[in-house]
Amino acid sequence: MTKAESNQLPNEEKQKAGHYSRLYRKFVFLTLISSLVPLLLVGWGIYIYYSDFSKDRLKTSFQNQVESHRKIIELFLKERTHDLQLVALNHKLEEIQKQPNLIRVLDSINREGQYFTDLGIINDQGKHLTYIGPYDLMDKNYSQTFWFKEVMKKGYFVSDMFTGFRGSPHIIIASLRIEGEKRWIIRASIETEYLRSLVENVKIGATGEVYLLNQAGILQTSPRFGGRIMDKAPLPIEQFREESGIRTLTLAGSNPTSISSKQIVAHAWMRDPHWLLVVKQEYDEAFHDVNHANRATLIFLHLSLLGIIIITAIITRTMVKTIEKRDLESEQLNKQLIQAGKLASLGELSAGVAHEINNPLAIILMENQVVRDTVDEFPELDADFKEQLIDSLSQIDSQVQRCNLITHNLLRFSRRTVSQIEAVDINAFLNEVIQLMANRAKGMGVHFNTNLEEGQKPIYSDPSQLQQVFLNLINNAIDAHEGKPYGSITISTRSDFQKQGVIIEVADTGSGIPKENLERIFDPFFTTKPVGKGTGLGLSISYSLINKLGGDISVQSVVGQGTHFTLFLPFNRPEDSEKNDEEHPGQTLMPESKKETKQ
Amino acid sequence: MKRARVLIVDDEEAFADNIAKLISKRGYDIKAVYNGQSALTALDEDDFDVIILDLKMPGMDGLTTLKNIKGKKPSVEVIILTGHGSMESGIDGIQLGAFDFIMKPVRFDELYDKIRQAYQRKLVHEEPVQGSPTDKE
Repeated sequence: MTKAESNQLPNEEKQKAGHYSRLYRKFVFLTLISSLVPLLLVGWGIYIYYSDFSKDRLKTSFQNQVESHRKIIELFLKERTHDLQLVALNHKLEEIQKQPNLIRVLDSINREGQYFTDLGIINDQGKHLTYIGPYDLMDKNYSQTFWFKEVMKKGYFVSDMFTGFRGSPHIIIASLRIEGEKRWIIRASIETEYLRSLVENVKIGATGEVYLLNQAGILQTSPRFGGRIMDKAPLPIEQFREESGIRTLTLAGSNPTSISSKQIVAHAWMRDPHWLLVVKQEYDEAFHDVNHANRATLIFLHLSLLGIIIITAIITRTMVKTIEKRDLESEQLNKQLIQAGKLASLGELSAGVAHEINNPLAIILMENQVVRDTVDEFPELDADFKEQLIDSLSQIDSQVQRCNLITHNLLRFSRRTVSQIEAVDINAFLNEVIQLMANRAKGMGVHFNTNLEEGQKPIYSDPSQLQQVFLNLINNAIDAHEGKPYGSITISTRSDFQKQGVIIEVADTGSGIPKENLERIFDPFFTTKPVGKGTGLGLSISYSLINKLGGDISVQSVVGQGTHFTLFLPFNRPEDSEKNDEEHPGQTLMPESKKETKQ
Repeated sequence: MKRARVLIVDDEEAFADNIAKLISKRGYDIKAVYNGQSALTALDEDDFDVIILDLKMPGMDGLTTLKNIKGKKPSVEVIILTGHGSMESGIDGIQLGAFDFIMKPVRFDELYDKIRQAYQRKLVHEEPVQGSPTDKE
């Protein structure tokens, strides 16, 4: 065997391994595509849809909050204005300008809460007639102030936050009373603290803030972060032209807590006064819950993804392993089938050949006899010549016998030989065979080990065919020790009740059989023995005999370590065997019986 | 002892002729025919003690010939020659009443022995028939 050939086998195995790993990758790829793509599409679709949906809902509720808050503030200011208008309508100047009366009025309008800081009655000249409150404003003249002009024109007025005479930011509400010819104004300032608390009632998380702006963008309340009352608002008022709205803005942080943050900003314009309510919160906080839920969804999605990948990998691996195993099994089965087919056709062929050869051989033998007879009829022949002739005729005779042996073997190998089925105690039988071979084995330095299972049930088989098989196996095993000083042959038996038969193993410690020969040892005429020493039929005959007896034979071998034959023989012979011998079990027609007839 | 009469039936003419030659030299009456049909014809014309019958022949095969022979002359001893090497057909032959079978190729001595045995048996079987008048009745 050349080097190139020996390299072919590993290559083939490598190719096979490549084939299975390609198969594995293909399966994994297809399974993943078909399972992950829909999962991801649905998962991401749901994620995007619900994320948008819940954000919209959140925004809407944010917006609603702003809206309702705007209404509260509007309502508050409206009610306060009504309070003053009511007071103005229900009192005459003479009464109300008396200090105790005004105190009573202030008390009654502050009955539900400390809405008003102070209260004053001002005449149409802008001079205070009466004033109750913490500031000293009696001598102030308001005739030139913007609100005085407005109230004289409109009848009532709600101011923006302004500093005024008192020097601190406040809002005033004023209402004009026309009492006959007299015109007077009742003016009150709103408790800034109260307004602030009203506005900041909208408490939104840790980062939320609410504030009011006037039309000019001046802060009407102090925001929680950045900016103070009466300052210019951090957001330009131009952004909030619509009635109401919501948007997200990325702001360069004007305060230490938000260096640069994404903010959600909702706003609503009040009608009277025309102020802007702004509610602002950091985006992340506002959408914390939604984001949290979304993250959970995504984590779940990706965990499922990972799970599918792992499961796919495992399942595919198992699947490919199974396929590999199946392939291997079918390959072995194929090999066996090919072997069986080969043997069957060779059996037919050799039977045919043997028959064709037998006839001429028979004629040769008869001619031989004719010549012998003729020689006897001529006694006057030269003695030397006669002797030579007889010698040659004997040689012809023995060579024909040799041919006869070969054809006989061939015919035995073919299926046409008859089995004699009887009960065989396999252990005793094997011991007999070992006895037969003991001398030859001893001569080669080989000893026998037996490991025979006790209490074996007898099998129904053909002892003479079995003997042929085992003699052959043992002969080969002994021959395998050629060149080795010593060795052993181990023969063991065990019952296999599942397969209803007995397993016989013949293992030797001989030279072993190379892999490339192992596949061919059951082929007829395959032999590694020198020419003339073996016909190459032994194992193929054994193979066909064992097959015919319903069993099977397999071989394993490691070069240098030995060869191990495993035979299986059924307890009972299969049904499809020849009926003749079952009908006439006593009629023995083996060569031995012929001898008996002779005697 | 009267001369035994032997019929050899084999499609291998050389083989049949050789055997005829060898047997007649040894003091038997022998006739060689080359197929089953002529064997039956020969049997009609003459009496034979032993028939050597090849199993595999063209035309009427050996077993059919054997059946017909046994139908005509049950007492004749038939030795089957089988070139098949197949014992099954030999066994079939014995079940049909053949004396024994011999596998080709066969040494002449062996065949000769077998013919003698067959003839002996024929004689043994015939003796009571010839010797006892009760059987004739």
